[in-house]
Amino acid sequence: MDVAVFWVLAVLAVVSGAMVFRFDSMARATFSLLTSLLCVGGLVVLLGLDYLGIVIVLMMTIEMAIMAVFMVMYMMNPAGLMPMTMMHNKRGAAVVCGLVFLLLAAGILFAPWPARRGKSSADPTMELGMSLMGPQMLTMMTLGMALFATIVATVVLATRRGRYDRLGDDLRARRADDPVRGGVGR
Amino acid sequence: MADSAPLWAVFVLPVLLLVVALVTAGFDAVLTAGARGGRAGSVREAAVRAADPAREVLRQLVQQPRRTRASDVALARIGAALLPVAAMLAAVVLPLGFRSVSDLPEGIVWFNAMEALAWAAVWLAGWGPNSTLSLIGGYRFLAQGLAYELPHMLAITTAALGAESLRVGQVVDAQDGLWFALWMPAAFGIYLLSAMAMAFWGPFDQPAGRDVAGGAAAELSGADRVLFLGGRWLLLVVAAAFSVPLFLGGGYGPWLPGWLWTVLKTGAVLAFLVWVRRRVPTVRMERYVELGWVVLTPLAIVQALVVAVVVLNR
Amino acid sequence: MELRRRLLRTAVSRPGVLLAVSPGTTRERLAVEAELVRRGWPCVSAPAEADLLVVLGGHHAEESDGDAGSDWAANLWHAIPAPKARVPVRDAGQVAEALDRGLAELRRGEPPQEPHQEDDAHSHRGEHGEHGDHQHGDHGQHEQHGDHGDHGDHGHNDNSATHEGHEPGPHEGHNGHVDHDGEDRGHEGHNGGHSGDDANSGHDVHSGDDGHSGHHMHNGDDTHSGHHMPGNGDTHGGHDGHAGHDMHGAHGGHAGHDMGVVAGLPMADRADDRDGLRLDRLHVPLGPALADWPAGLILRVALQGDIVQQVSAEAEGSASPYPPFWDEPWLRALSGERVSHGEAARRLCAAHLDSLGRFFAVTGWTDMAARFRHVRDRALAGADAAELRGLLRPLIRRAERSRTLRWLTAGLGPLTAEHARHLGVTGPALVADGDVHARMRVWLGAAWRGADECDDTEALDTAQVIGPRGRVDGPVPASLALLDALPGLLEGAEFAGARIIVASLDPDLDELAHVPAVGMAHG
Repeated sequence: MDVAVFWVLAVLAVVSGAMVFRFDSMARATFSLLTSLLCVGGLVVLLGLDYLGIVIVLMMTIEMAIMAVFMVMYMMNPAGLMPMTMMHNKRGAAVVCGLVFLLLAAGILFAPWPARRGKSSADPTMELGMSLMGPQMLTMMTLGMALFATIVATVVLATRRGRYDRLGDDLRARRADDPVRGGVGR
Repeated sequence: MADSAPLWAVFVLPVLLLVVALVTAGFDAVLTAGARGGRAGSVREAAVRAADPAREVLRQLVQQPRRTRASDVALARIGAALLPVAAMLAAVVLPLGFRSVSDLPEGIVWFNAMEALAWAAVWLAGWGPNSTLSLIGGYRFLAQGLAYELPHMLAITTAALGAESLRVGQVVDAQDGLWFALWMPAAFGIYLLSAMAMAFWGPFDQPAGRDVAGGAAAELSGADRVLFLGGRWLLLVVAAAFSVPLFLGGGYGPWLPGWLWTVLKTGAVLAFLVWVRRRVPTVRMERYVELGWVVLTPLAIVQALVVAVVVLNR
Repeated sequence: MELRRRLLRTAVSRPGVLLAVSPGTTRERLAVEAELVRRGWPCVSAPAEADLLVVLGGHHAEESDGDAGSDWAANLWHAIPAPKARVPVRDAGQVAEALDRGLAELRRGEPPQEPHQEDDAHSHRGEHGEHGDHQHGDHGQHEQHGDHGDHGDHGHNDNSATHEGHEPGPHEGHNGHVDHDGEDRGHEGHNGGHSGDDANSGHDVHSGDDGHSGHHMHNGDDTHSGHHMPGNGDTHGGHDGHAGHDMHGAHGGHAGHDMGVVAGLPMADRADDRDGLRLDRLHVPLGPALADWPAGLILRVALQGDIVQQVSAEAEGSASPYPPFWDEPWLRALSGERVSHGEAARRLCAAHLDSLGRFFAVTGWTDMAARFRHVRDRALAGADAAELRGLLRPLIRRAERSRTLRWLTAGLGPLTAEHARHLGVTGPALVADGDVHARMRVWLGAAWRGADECDDTEALDTAQVIGPRGRVDGPVPASLALLDALPGLLEGAEFAGARIIVASLDPDLDELAHVPAVGMAHG
């Protein structure tokens, strides 16, 4: 049963991944990528890491839905209506892909994989979390904050209007001067 | 502790959901018709009005599916069909009484993930037909998603935190004495808001609003339309029903059996949502997103903090 | 088969009705809406969910058969999926029969013969094409492009993408283009900017696209799009036609240009958005077939995402010999007839209730909309003041006290009294001196006063004749001033906000369509 599911998901993941480059519409390419990622999420569940698998499904769905908007928006191809191709710089890409594939395949074939010792734990998610986060909680927290700060900083740098534009030089304006009024006013 | 239900429950679940959705839609239809044409004169008339949603389904099923020019039919169809599927999958972790089809160890995350599939579904249905109004509807849902999802995730995390488990059955068990709704009211309120938002229904119906001629559903007809709009009702029912195990004590209650309590509580939540719909105009995201991020998200974080402190000191 | 037929009959026994309302048919519209409520048939907002198309005011349809005026109704008809039926309603008195006829036609279940059957390919296209941006709209285009004949289906869309200038004539591309240049900072820069792209993705798929498409286009089905080509300048030469051949060509090449046509539909062009990004912009005509929309109004908007960037308002051109329904008592009083004050008050009340119904429908408060429409129907049916007051009081209280409504509508579409006066606005919008919410409150107050006085039997004072939209005896119709106010208020608003602003002014295009015919005082 597991083997069948594995093959179905694996083939689907690879095929829809390849289809990303065959489709000529941004929307299709994006959602083909999403299909591929959802299959990967399914494979992770199959490995017994339910939590990670489901989180992959959750995050990838939301991410690709948002991504579709941005991909359509920034494309030099208005509205994404016009057929397009996802392939650029074919030769270079082919070379890079080939090399990476060889490297990974070599890694799989030649790495000395350890044999299983002991039993798999009852709650692999917990175990994984403990081994990732347990001893390095502080690192993880710092990392999280740093990532978040980066996001905020990027947005602050990218935005054209700051609080002085919105609320006046002394920040005393009763209502923010926005192109479209928001719900709270700050 | 929740048990897993037998296999036949898999087949009962969709039927049950459909029945609840039809009853809710019928109740809504009676109120709607009452507002437009005056209160129903007789029980018979009210019954006819209550049957409206069922007849509407039939009416649309006999309609031809149609295509718009340069449309991406495959994407639109996938979008329309994905919505009910997402609702059904989310319902897998719903306990009726103390039994659910599958009480996954990470049931709450599962529910959230399945509900997020609606993001893709609505956008696809809006994008596919290549029509301005339906595209606006599709984009609106993404904006709505960004506005509601953050406080929503924090709210359901708070419930999980209170029970110290992501398993829905354990969340129910943790409410044996005190319902979560009572000591995490902010999370409960936020959850109810996002339940309507994720089903893009009621005050959050902008993605399928009448001002854009049905928005994401504007170009769907025939079976596609039934799937999409039916999926929306299913999503609403599932979202409302999920508030019962999360915040309203699941099947716990005196005298009556657990399953009946679940049904009653779900019915009460749905009735409340149907009532809210009548009292409030559509919330536009340009206003709500600011409220969501500036007020509701911090509120949800504070709520989670309070719960965390209580749990740590237990 | 018997079961199948019975199923079909049951299914269509409560058809979804789509109204195609022309200016000058308010009376018929109200009659149809009241009748639909009586029957419990849903009034739908898009052709996709409709079974029965009710075309109001067919009186000018025959005369102007070849004319483009009723073209949008025809497109609407094409967009409805089978089984479907179409009935004209010419007179408010025969609404019930017309609906019965429509139902009978639906039940027979055979596809109705179309009045003028076009060739296959064409009707096919109509069916598949004309909605979305167009369903609600491009129809108006036809008027200006009467000379284009009936292949407008794809053609006019292009035009809408190019021009905002609306000067009638075959070469609007030119005008539009001049306009464009203004905001697009010139096309040349554009081309230059994107040539890199072109080279990039263009060559490995297909090269020399320009020359290539140049051939195709002028004989393909897109001959039409050729219209705006001259305006585009020679660099843009052949791109439009490209779409004509299938989904392969050198797309990268195209991407750089502002306008192309895919499957006969125009592509979006690009313009700076309010954050300084250069993003897609769609030119979409709104109306006249939108639900809860002033009959006959066409707004040509440039949309970026759902933000309205530019607007121009125009009226769908069909002229009506009947006086505007909502102004009728005042017009009659002016022409010397004795009209009671109560009658005018009742009409005023109903007019505002109608506007309020629309306003609440657009703000998404369907329950309130339904209740206001119910009271409107009661008012028009002649309910007495006491009943109307009883019905209205709770509604008005709820609307005024709703904090959510205030939160959602505050600050939308502010129109100061000073500016309104400058524009020549004389009605509630002038009194309101504020945003959408203020205008709604003025309507609520006026509707309440109207309901209060609707049994008054004194003669109407003709010294001041302020109808629901403003002065009835002014040099220009009051609604014209409202139309003039629209573009300024709409630009920069989001789509939903724009619809609410339009609903809060609710211009009555009957006033513009009214062309008094000789020997026809009123109908």
